[in-house]
Amino acid sequence: MNFTLTKEQALIQKMAREFADQNIALVAEQIEQQNEVPREILQGLAELDLFGMAMPEAYGGADAGYDSYVLAMEQIARVSSGPAMVVSAHSLGLAAISNFGTEAQKQKYMPPACRGEHITSFAFTEPGTGSDPKQINSTAVRDGDHYIINGTKRFITNANYPGSLVVFAKDSQGGKPTAFIVDKFCEGYSVSEPWKKLGWHGGPLCDIYMQNIKLPVENLLGELGNGYPVLQYGIAFGKIGMNSVALGTTLAAFEESVKYAKEKTHRGDPIAKFQAIQLKIADIAMKYETSRWLAYRLGVLANNPKSPSDFAREAALSKVVIAENAMAAARIAVDIHGSYGLMEDYKVSRLYRDAIMGPQVEGVIDMQKLIVAGAILA
Amino acid sequence: MNIVVALKQVPDLQQIRIRNRQPVFDGVPYTIGSIDKNALEAGVQLKEVSGGNLMAVSVGNEELEDTIKEALAGGADEACLVIDDKFADIESSISAALLAAAIKKIDDVGLLLFGEGSGDNYSGQVSSRVAEILGFPQIGYASQIELEGQTARITRVLEDSEEVLEVRMPVVVSVLSDINKPRIPSVTQILKAGRKPKKVLGIDDLEIELSGDRTITTLSSLAPETDRQRIAIKSAADLISALRAEGFLGR
Repeated sequence: MNFTLTKEQALIQKMAREFADQNIALVAEQIEQQNEVPREILQGLAELDLFGMAMPEAYGGADAGYDSYVLAMEQIARVSSGPAMVVSAHSLGLAAISNFGTEAQKQKYMPPACRGEHITSFAFTEPGTGSDPKQINSTAVRDGDHYIINGTKRFITNANYPGSLVVFAKDSQGGKPTAFIVDKFCEGYSVSEPWKKLGWHGGPLCDIYMQNIKLPVENLLGELGNGYPVLQYGIAFGKIGMNSVALGTTLAAFEESVKYAKEKTHRGDPIAKFQAIQLKIADIAMKYETSRWLAYRLGVLANNPKSPSDFAREAALSKVVIAENAMAAARIAVDIHGSYGLMEDYKVSRLYRDAIMGPQVEGVIDMQKLIVAGAILA
Repeated sequence: MNIVVALKQVPDLQQIRIRNRQPVFDGVPYTIGSIDKNALEAGVQLKEVSGGNLMAVSVGNEELEDTIKEALAGGADEACLVIDDKFADIESSISAALLAAAIKKIDDVGLLLFGEGSGDNYSGQVSSRVAEILGFPQIGYASQIELEGQTARITRVLEDSEEVLEVRMPVVVSVLSDINKPRIPSVTQILKAGRKPKKVLGIDDLEIELSGDRTITTLSSLAPETDRQRIAIKSAADLISALRAEGFLGR
C-alpha cells in the first residue's frame, strides 16, 4: 500500500493547478455569468492533453492513467467546475468508445477527441426516464446498411459542441437498449439552448432532438441489444470525473474557509482563534481527506478494473461519499463566512450551488446506494 | 551548440508552513527555483529559434534525480547532475565550483543561463562565480537574449536605463524574472521527462577539491517588524501635513 504520489503525478497535479490559477481563475466569474467556458480555456486544456489524458497513446491519448486524471481534474474544478464538467462528460463518452469500440471506431473517433478538437457526449437520459434502461423511448430501426434513430435525450452535457455522441436507443428487432456512435450536428440532429441550472455553470446541459438520423451499421457500439454493459461501465467511468469535480469543490471550500477564518476578525482577533470555527475547519478537512483518498483509489481501480460490476460498485460507493461530503463541506464553508457566504461576491456561494449538483447528476445518490447494496446482497 | 541552463532545486515555497516563527520543511517537496524556470524558458525559446541542444545542469542531494524531471518536462533535452546526499544546503562558492566542474565536461557550450537569484537564499553569486571559474564573460539582469551565429545580443535592465550588449559566446547570462512567462508543460511532456537522457556524476567524477564545511545554516529568517503610525486624518490638508511630517512629500 503506497499513499504517495509519483513525481510525475505531483507534476501533473501542479500543472493543472498552475493552469487553473493562471488562466481559469481570471474568467471564473465570466463562466459563472455566461454559463459558457471560453474557447481559449478549452484550447489550453487541450494543449495540456487533458482531453485524452487517460486514453491509450495508440489512439492519441496521453496514457497517464485515471489516477493522474483525477489529480488534474480536482485542481481544475477547485477553480471552476464548468471546464472540469466539460472534460469529465467528454471523458465519459470517450471511455465508452475506448472500452467498447471496434478498432475502426477507435481510430476514427478517438484521436480528434483526445486532441480536444471534438468534444464527446454520452446520452442516455430522456424526458421520461433517468436511470432505468428499460424505459427509454428512443428507437433505432434497421434499414438496410443503416439504422434510423429517433428520439429525445435530456440533460446531455456537451451536446452543443461538435464531436461524437454515444447514444442509447431501443433496437427495433429485440426492443432492447443498444449503444450507437453519432456524429453530433449530422442531418437530423438538433439541440436546445443549454439549461439554466443551479450550479456547474459552464458545463452545458442540453436536450438533443434526433429526427430520422441515418446511421451506418458500423456505428453500432458494442453488441446489438446489449447496451446495458456500455451504460453501466460508461456511467461508472463517468463517476471518476464526477468525483473529481466534487473533490475540487470540497478542496476549494476548505481553502476558502481557512483563508477567511484567518482574515476575518472579531473584536480584534481572527475568527480562526474561536473554537466554534476551528471545529468547522476540522470537519471540512476530514471530509476532504476522506473524499480524496476514495477519489484517487477509484482512479487507480479504473486503470485496471477487475470486472464491470465490481467497478460499478466501487464507483457508486465513492460517488455517494464524495458528493455528500462536497455538499456538507460547502455548507460548512458558507456557515464560516456567515452572511458574506450568501453573497455572490464570495466564492463559497458558488461552491454551495456547485456542490448540490453532484448528488443529482449521473445517477442520484439513492440509485448509487442501491447499486452498492445490490452488489453486497447478491 | 549546447545551451546550458543551471538550475537549483529548492523547497516548494508554496508548501512551506510557519510554526513558532520557523519554516517547517517536513514533507515539503523540492522544485526548481522560480527565476531558474525563467532561465529554462529563455533557453527553450532560443533553442526553438536558433536550434542547438538544451542541457539542464544542477547540483543537489538524491532528490535531484526526481526534481530535474520538472526541467526536462519544461523543455530541456537532457540533464547533467552532480548528486551527493551532502549537497543539501551547500554555500554558493561550493555550488559554483561543482557546477563549473560539471560544465567543463560538456562540449561546445555556447550560452550558459542562470536565474538572477535562487528561489531560497537568493545570494545571486553563483552565476558570477561560475563565469570566473570558467573564464567566460558574464552579463546580468538580462531581459532579452538574441543569438546570431557565435554572437549573443543581450538587453540588460539597469536602475534607470536599458543597456544592449553584444558578446561572443561562450557567455554566462543571468536573467530577470520578467524576461518571459514559463510555459506549463503538458501531460505528455511530463510523462516523457523521465525518459530523456540524464547523466549523473558524483564528486569523484569531477576534477575538484572541496575543503571545509560545505553547508550553510540559516539561523533566522524573519521579515522586519512593522507597525502602523495610527495617525487619524480628518481632511486632505491633514493628510498632506502628515505625509510632509513623515518626509514622504516635499523631499
